[in-house]
Amino acid sequence: MDTVIDQLPKSVDAAAALPACVNGLPNFEFPSIDTPSAFLRAFTDDASNPDVPIKPQHGTTTLAFKFQGGIIVAVDSRASAGSWIASQKVKKVLEINPFMLGTMAGGAADCQFWERWLGSQCRLYELRNKKRISVSAASKILANVTYHYKGSGLSMGTMVCGYSEKNNTLEPEIYYVDSDGSRVAGQLFSVGSGQTFAYGVLDQGYDYNLSVEDALTLGKRAIIAATHRDAYSGNSCNLYHLKPTGWVYHGNYDAAAEIWRLKEAEGSFNDIRTK
Amino acid sequence: MSNPSEINGGSAVAMIGKDCVAIACDLRLGLQSVTVSGDFEKIFQYGGNFVAFTGLATDVQTVSTELRQKHALYEMVEERSMEPNTAAHLVSSMLYSRRFAPWFVGPLVAGINSTTGEPYVCSFDSIGSMDVSHDFVVTGTATNQLYGMAESLYEKDMSPEQLFETISQTLLCAADRDAITGSGGLVYVIEKNGKVTKKLLKSRQD
Amino acid sequence: MDILLGIRTQNEVLLITSRSLARGISVLKSDDVKVLECNKHTALAFSGEPGDTTNFVEFIRANVRLYGFQNKQELTTHAVASYARKELATSLRSRKPYQVNILVAGHNGTPELHWIDYLGTNVTLPYAAHGYASYYVLSTLDRWWTETLTLEEGLELARKCIDELEKRMPIDFKGCNIHVVDQNGVRLHE
Repeated sequence: MDTVIDQLPKSVDAAAALPACVNGLPNFEFPSIDTPSAFLRAFTDDASNPDVPIKPQHGTTTLAFKFQGGIIVAVDSRASAGSWIASQKVKKVLEINPFMLGTMAGGAADCQFWERWLGSQCRLYELRNKKRISVSAASKILANVTYHYKGSGLSMGTMVCGYSEKNNTLEPEIYYVDSDGSRVAGQLFSVGSGQTFAYGVLDQGYDYNLSVEDALTLGKRAIIAATHRDAYSGNSCNLYHLKPTGWVYHGNYDAAAEIWRLKEAEGSFNDIRTK
Repeated sequence: MSNPSEINGGSAVAMIGKDCVAIACDLRLGLQSVTVSGDFEKIFQYGGNFVAFTGLATDVQTVSTELRQKHALYEMVEERSMEPNTAAHLVSSMLYSRRFAPWFVGPLVAGINSTTGEPYVCSFDSIGSMDVSHDFVVTGTATNQLYGMAESLYEKDMSPEQLFETISQTLLCAADRDAITGSGGLVYVIEKNGKVTKKLLKSRQD
Repeated sequence: MDILLGIRTQNEVLLITSRSLARGISVLKSDDVKVLECNKHTALAFSGEPGDTTNFVEFIRANVRLYGFQNKQELTTHAVASYARKELATSLRSRKPYQVNILVAGHNGTPELHWIDYLGTNVTLPYAAHGYASYYVLSTLDRWWTETLTLEEGLELARKCIDELEKRMPIDFKGCNIHVVDQNGVRLHE
C-alpha cells in the first residue's frame, strides 16, 4: 500500500527547479495566450492598476560615477510596493564578482536573478578564456538578455561597473543597461525614482579630480538627498569604491541618522522643522 | 495613486488614557512621491476639541477652516463651549452634507467632556459615519500599520506621560512602514484639568 | 512643463520662471514672462493649462486690486494666497476646474512664499518648485539653502538650480527670468 512517504519523489532534482536552457539562455514558460505581455501587465503593473494581485517591488535611488580614483557606487535600501515599505534593508548593489558590481533598480526579482546569472556567465567566460571578462562584454551579455525579453514585462535599470583591461591597462567602465534593451557607457549615472534628486546634488558637487574621500562623501550625500525628497527611497545607503584591485565596501549608513548629522555639519536641510 | 486620499499622504491617531486623551499626526505633505513640505500640521484646535484631518490636503484645509467658522458661530450663539461629542456630530453632519460629492478627508476628534470629565475619541469615514471608541482611533495612509502598533502597545488607564510614549511610538513605528507618512510628528496630550501639552517628534526624514 | 521656482532669502523672495512658451511642437515665444504683479508687494508666478493660467491670475489680480480700492487697505501676501487657494479649491469641484499651479511671493515686513497647486493646497515654504523642475532642484536647495541668504547668495543659488535644469531637463526652456520681490515691490532682475 502506498504511504504518503512512498508518494514523494525518491530524490530531489535541484536542476529541475531552474529553467531549462535554450540557446544558452534560461527558458521561461509564457502563459499560453495571444499576448503574454498584456496578461502580465494586467497582473503585475501597479501603475495602471493599483489592485493587481502581484506587486513587484519598486522605487529606488542608485548612482555610480567615475573619477580620478576609480568608481563610486552608492544606493539606498528601501523596497516599496505602492506606499507600503516592504523592506528597509535591501541590498541593491549586487557583487557580480570581486571586480564587478551591478546596481539594482526596478523589479527586485528581475535584477537579482539576471545579475546573479550574469555572474555565472562571467565566471564561465573566465574559465574558458583564462582571463577576466571586460565590463563592456559583461554588460552586453545582460543587454542581450533584456533585449531578448523586451516587451515581456521585465523591469530593470542597472549599472554594471568595474575595471576592464584595455591596451594592457585597467580602465574603469560604467554601463547603464535597462529592460528596454538600452546599453550606454558613461561617466556618471543615477537610476531609479529618486534619480533626479541625486543628480541635483551630484552634478553640482562633481569634479573628476575629487579625492577618494570626497568622492565617497559626495556619492553618499547624493543618495541621502534623494532619500529625503523621494518617498520611495530611503532607510540606508550602501557605499562601494571600485579600484583596479577590485571593489571595496565602505559600509551601510542609516539615512535618518545621516540627515540629522548633515543638517548639523553642513547647515543644510533647512526645510526640516525643528521646533 | 490616482486615489485622492493617497495623493498627499499622511496619518493620525488618537488615544484615551486615564483622565486624558492624546492625538498625534505626521507632518508630511507630498505630491505622490515628492515630499513638498515637512511642516504640514493635520491637527486643529477648536476650543477644547482637537480634530485631525488626513486625506486630500486641499480638503483638509477647506474642511478645517469651515469647521473653524461653524465652531465659532456655535459658541457665539450658544454662549457656551462646545463639547467633544457635539464637535464630532458637527463634523459628521458637515461630511454627510457632501454625501454625493465627498470631501476626501478622514477626521478624528479628541477631547475631554467638560461636565462629565470623560475622555472622548471618535473617527469618521469620508461621508460622516461616526465611530466612537473607548480606546484608540486611527486614520490616514498608514491605517494598517497604526492599527498593528496600537493594538499591541495600547493599555487601559495610562497616565499622560505613558499615553504620550505610547501614541508617539505608535505613530513613529507606523510611519517607518509607510512611504508617504512621516517627516516629523506632532503630539497633543490633553488632560482633564485643561492642561494641553504640544510636542514635536523629531522623526526620520527619509 | 514650465519651470516655476521660488526661493526665499533673508530680505526678499526670488521667483525663477522659464522664458519659453511652447504650443504643440513649436516654441511661440522665448521671452515669456510667467510672473504677474498682484499688488505692490505681492507677485504671482504661474504655470499649467494654457488659457486657464492667465485668466486665473488676472482674475485674482483684478479682485485683489478691487479690494484695495474699496477698502483703502491692500491685501497682505498671506491674504492673497488664501484667496487664490479658495478660488482654486472651489473651482476644483466645478464642471471645468482651473488647472493652474501658482507661487505667491510677497514682502510685508518679512519675505514670504506660498506654494499652491491646482487642487488648492496652500503651504508656506522657504523654497518651492512646481512641475518637473521640483524633481531636480529640491535636493539642490535642500543642500545649499540657508535662512540667512543675501540677495547675491540667493541669486547664486538660483544660478545653481538653473544650471542643473539646463543640464538635465530634456527640453530647452530658453533660460529663466528672475523676479525679485522685496520691500520696494516687484522687479525683474537684470
